[in-house]
Amino acid sequence: MKKNQIQRRHFLRGTGALIALPTLESISFRRFASAAETAAATPPKRMVFLGLGFGVTQETWFPNVEQTGADYDLPEGHKPLSRHKNDFTIVQGCSNQFSNEAHWGSTFWLTGANRFAVPGQSMSNSISVDQVAAQQLGQDTRYASIQLKSSDGSASGHGPGLSLAWDGRGKPVAGFDNPVKVFHKLFSADDLPLEQRQAAIAENRSVLDAVLTEARRVQRGLTRTDTDKLNEYFQGIRDIETRLSKDEAWLEIPKAKSPIDEPAQGLKGQEEIKVMYDLIVAALQTDSTRVMTYRMPGQSLLQSMDITLSAHNVSHYSPGERMQASQSRDRTHSELLARLIDKLKATKEADGSSLFDHVALAFGSNISSIHYLTNCPTILTGGGANLKLGQHVVLPKDTPLSNVWLTMLKGMGIDAARHGDSTGVVKELQA
Amino acid sequence: MKGPHKNSSARGGKQAGCTACMLAFWFCGFVQAAAPEARLPDKHRAFLTKHCLSCHDSETQEGKVNLEDLSFRITTLEQAELWQKVLNALNAGEMPPEDELQPANAQKADFLDDLAHTMVAARMKLSDSGGKITLRRLNRREYQNTIKHLTGVSVDAGSLPTDGGSGTFDTVGTAQFISSDQFEQYLNLGRLAIDEAFERQAAQKEKPRVFRVEPETTVNVKSRADMAKMEEEYKRYLLWKAEVDKAALASENRKVMDKLRKKYPTLEEGSRVRLYQNANLLNGMPDAKEFGFRDANTADFSYRGGYGRKYAYMKHYAELPYSHRGTYLKLAWGIQRIDVTPNPKNLPSGKYILRMRAGVVEDSPSFRHFIEIGHPQRVNGVRAGFTGFPISSHQVTGTVEQPEVIETRLEVGLHSQLEFGIQERQPTDGKSLRDTFNRGKRDNGYGIPPAIWIDWVELEGPLPQAGDPSPLRTIFDKHADTTTNSVEDRTRAILTEFAHAALRRVKPDTAFIDKLLAIFEARRKAGETFEVAIRTPLSIILASPGFLYLNEPGNEVEQRQLNDRELAVRLAYFLWSAPPDKKLLDLAEQNQLHQPDFLRKQVDRLIADSRSDEFVSGFVHQWLDMERLDFFQFDVTLHREFDENTRAAARQEVYRSFAHLMRDHEAGQLSKLLKSDYIFINGLLATYYGLEGVTGDEFRKVKLPADSPRGGLLGMAAIHAMGSDGVKSSPVERGAWILRHLLNDPPPPAPPNVPQISRLEEQVLTTRERLLAHQEQAQCASCHRKIDPIGFALENFNAAGKWRTEDSYQLRDRRGRGVGKRKTWTIDASGAFHKGPAFSGYRELRDLIAKRENDFARGFIEHLIEYALGRPFGFTDEDLANDIVNSATSKQFAVSEFVHSLVQSKAFRTK
Repeated sequence: MKKNQIQRRHFLRGTGALIALPTLESISFRRFASAAETAAATPPKRMVFLGLGFGVTQETWFPNVEQTGADYDLPEGHKPLSRHKNDFTIVQGCSNQFSNEAHWGSTFWLTGANRFAVPGQSMSNSISVDQVAAQQLGQDTRYASIQLKSSDGSASGHGPGLSLAWDGRGKPVAGFDNPVKVFHKLFSADDLPLEQRQAAIAENRSVLDAVLTEARRVQRGLTRTDTDKLNEYFQGIRDIETRLSKDEAWLEIPKAKSPIDEPAQGLKGQEEIKVMYDLIVAALQTDSTRVMTYRMPGQSLLQSMDITLSAHNVSHYSPGERMQASQSRDRTHSELLARLIDKLKATKEADGSSLFDHVALAFGSNISSIHYLTNCPTILTGGGANLKLGQHVVLPKDTPLSNVWLTMLKGMGIDAARHGDSTGVVKELQA
Repeated sequence: MKGPHKNSSARGGKQAGCTACMLAFWFCGFVQAAAPEARLPDKHRAFLTKHCLSCHDSETQEGKVNLEDLSFRITTLEQAELWQKVLNALNAGEMPPEDELQPANAQKADFLDDLAHTMVAARMKLSDSGGKITLRRLNRREYQNTIKHLTGVSVDAGSLPTDGGSGTFDTVGTAQFISSDQFEQYLNLGRLAIDEAFERQAAQKEKPRVFRVEPETTVNVKSRADMAKMEEEYKRYLLWKAEVDKAALASENRKVMDKLRKKYPTLEEGSRVRLYQNANLLNGMPDAKEFGFRDANTADFSYRGGYGRKYAYMKHYAELPYSHRGTYLKLAWGIQRIDVTPNPKNLPSGKYILRMRAGVVEDSPSFRHFIEIGHPQRVNGVRAGFTGFPISSHQVTGTVEQPEVIETRLEVGLHSQLEFGIQERQPTDGKSLRDTFNRGKRDNGYGIPPAIWIDWVELEGPLPQAGDPSPLRTIFDKHADTTTNSVEDRTRAILTEFAHAALRRVKPDTAFIDKLLAIFEARRKAGETFEVAIRTPLSIILASPGFLYLNEPGNEVEQRQLNDRELAVRLAYFLWSAPPDKKLLDLAEQNQLHQPDFLRKQVDRLIADSRSDEFVSGFVHQWLDMERLDFFQFDVTLHREFDENTRAAARQEVYRSFAHLMRDHEAGQLSKLLKSDYIFINGLLATYYGLEGVTGDEFRKVKLPADSPRGGLLGMAAIHAMGSDGVKSSPVERGAWILRHLLNDPPPPAPPNVPQISRLEEQVLTTRERLLAHQEQAQCASCHRKIDPIGFALENFNAAGKWRTEDSYQLRDRRGRGVGKRKTWTIDASGAFHKGPAFSGYRELRDLIAKRENDFARGFIEHLIEYALGRPFGFTDEDLANDIVNSATSKQFAVSEFVHSLVQSKAFRTK
């Protein structure tokens, strides 16, 4: 919330943010968490979702359905992940039953909603699983959740939305598409004196109070539908109030020191994914947040791989140029994911365990490949949700994908009765 | 913005025009739409019985699916869901199961065709607005225009989320949302605008300065220095190279050489690059450091990346006539830009003129006679094109001997990059011209021949503010007197009046102003001056709901007529995407605006005003799904001329053509978008289309030669480019676009889970042969039998909209390089609409489409209604659409007549 940061804040100036920590040790429950009075014996649990948009290459991404359990051959598309084979699980057979939009890989991926569920509306959605998790996991961190996205969403098969996340009212949650901005949000120190920051929060409250006064005037005489619409504004203001209270609680706790350097401007495609992954690790490691989603680039990813075809064209691959392109994109994703897992494993928590042990990460899309919305590609990794890893799990066709999300939530210790169109947990995934 | 497969425009229950009664209608209104419904034709009952009910009847209910009781008339969400399942199962090829009786292909295609359209109608019916216009907020465009109106400043609203989406216009309230992040963005952007406005005002005290660049003192000097360095390096390189050549022949290196040849087959083929790069492996070879190079690789590259590559190029340019008092713009290598980099202190916010004297080289290709202006970019300290796209492009009309002066206006803001660059037009990825350079070098020994010479460049400003002062400025000026009133009174007056203007002449509550005043006072106490402290409350006004929302009180029971002020607001946002001006609001205050004659006059005035360009671009862009125009980077090898400048001009061609029709009351028939004997182009597009006699950057109406394929949307490069992927034309995209936007017969959304036919992929076939596969399966044929033939008729336009008579195909590897044999064929653009009539090619297709102006008009008005009323076009609006089409028919479908009818309609004037 800043009207006046131009004069008063100096984000980019000497913040010490560029000093990397000597070791990759998570500082998650040192003084930050203890300040929030949650100093636990075990490191906190975190959740990460990585959305692909257009799907994968069916022939070379999905393992043979005959080989299930731990003893299966890793298909071509996953070869770069071989070294982690015991630490991730591939799930087949899931889909979102209401999805009919062949080009929307992210809109309903984490929500399982029916676009047409609300009479009189041609588009509705419901809360995404990450936001369900954030309601609980976000209480003790500076940021309840952080959404990342790439700027090439519409050409990459993600569908409507501002990130992978949808809030409790089924409205899109905004995401960051610039790694530099994410870096500053996470790590740039606010070097103003305490009183000035307190004054700023107080002023922000007055600002909200003022616009609420004006909102009440506008509200007079509106129809019910219009009042509902205006309620979105009220809700937005309430959200800021909640955040201000949180800001206040965190006012005297400095932001974490960044374990990584400030990213360069203008990174695209593979480079963007790399640095966003680094930021995810950094954010989790410093316990700045425990819930992150990333709507990944598609079109610019291909461009960065010197592939001139459009992402949509590649998704309609068939043997030849387009299939090769689709396969190299899969491999690149696997390489990047393998690198992310490396980092999660290498990052140590204070109790000697690794960050990887406390993260639940899902990688995939609502789109399987081509125009198929069945058998959503799904990779689960990390020890956070207590899932059985190193498995190839083939579930009955059209198992609700929300069942997987519900299983993750439960495994995280989040008390959710159901999610989206879930019909129950997936026992096969529970360790 | 609308997606490629949108639902909303797929209209059910289409009305055929009934010309005979049209004139009568306006008086008695007896043309009534049949009660529209979503009903699957009864003839399909037999299909269902034969292929589905043996398992899915009420008794068996296989898979708990009972289709026996399912109504053919869809009225509930549950019915819609079940029918959707039927559609999906058929599309996916899951049903009927393989071991059951399979329907004939044609029969199944018909069933799928009707069911898919029925589903579109059902979705539309179930999401009908019921005539309600939901409260809406300013969309991104309107926000920007409104801020500009109030403060005189253009802010970059790019940080706000795009509106619309899922198939609707950005004016539709139900599709909009707001979040806490967005509220903060509004505060930020409002503050930026206010700061900028103050900054500009302060800058007005400064005298305009002129900053001049003589490129012979910048570019040429640097080039000569670079050349001198290359010469010196080259000398050292030759000495080093001689040593390598000698060592390579030495017998002690025979084994090393054998190893190298084995490792690098290119060595065998005569290229010695790998030898030089690996010179350190040779025995008896002196260290590269002795020659002043870091290592062998650097030594090698000093030649291949330096002297060997570009010395001849730079020398050639340096020795051209007139190089002593100007510079020739280079491409691919060397210094390509002229930078204009005055001291930032001398560039206060405001408007500037950029001027340059330039000429073209005789006999250079005319498409290269354009410069582009942008913000310089440096990558690792090296000059590399522009940051983002060019700001503008300009045709160079003079010659080197007789240069002419080109002038353009630029804006400088508080946060804009304070440098400008000028370069010859080129693809955004500057590297892509390296192949052209190498080809040129093989031909002429140096590289790309010169095309443009620049004598000098000047930047002058800030210019005095022109036009009416903004409301913000007027209010401040009015209360400039600090002697008579207290600071508090003055501030209260300023805030009250600015809020009044921002709320579009609604009086703000005193309580709101009180709170703003308190915030101001807190700032003052914290030590801020009046001028700074007041900016906070001013920017809060620009994030308040009364400003952000076009709010109109209403009630549930009955609709009410808008008051004149509300009407003025609706009208201005419809036709300007901006707030009403003083004239409109004054008329409203005099309670005259709602009177039909006054209203008509005002609509004419608004349309004639250049601000309606905002309506044109906003509406047309979404109506015609032009988002796709920006999806692809065009392949530079195949479509060199389709750079960002062409893309921008092609977009303008569409807008200008529509704007012209809208403003021409006599001859502005909508159908001229289907076919016309004129075209709207500027020098750049004329060059692109190969039309003679049009120079300069201004768009103008030009009569077409009789044999030109241009004229009308179907002849426009933008439309063809949208129907491509930047490499190849896409008959499917083009055919679907024509059905959707010209013939008002939109194909249903692309269904998921349809098995894809891939067996033709690795074969070298013509486009037609390849797409024939669409006809093999009912799931594909149900739509593609309508789409593909229309698309084939446009095959004479390549992906970038240039005319061609031949096409070819070659397999490509994953990096897009051609492999294997290339097949070339003469394009056959003949075909037939599904169920007729036939056409022999593009021209006949265009004539057939032009005859269907009724369908075109109907699709147009449905979109216009949705845009203007800000609600999804639904069954509720059927009558309104009929009425307007009927009324416009009497005026030969003049575009302005549609607008008039819509504005005069009850729907537009009620809440």
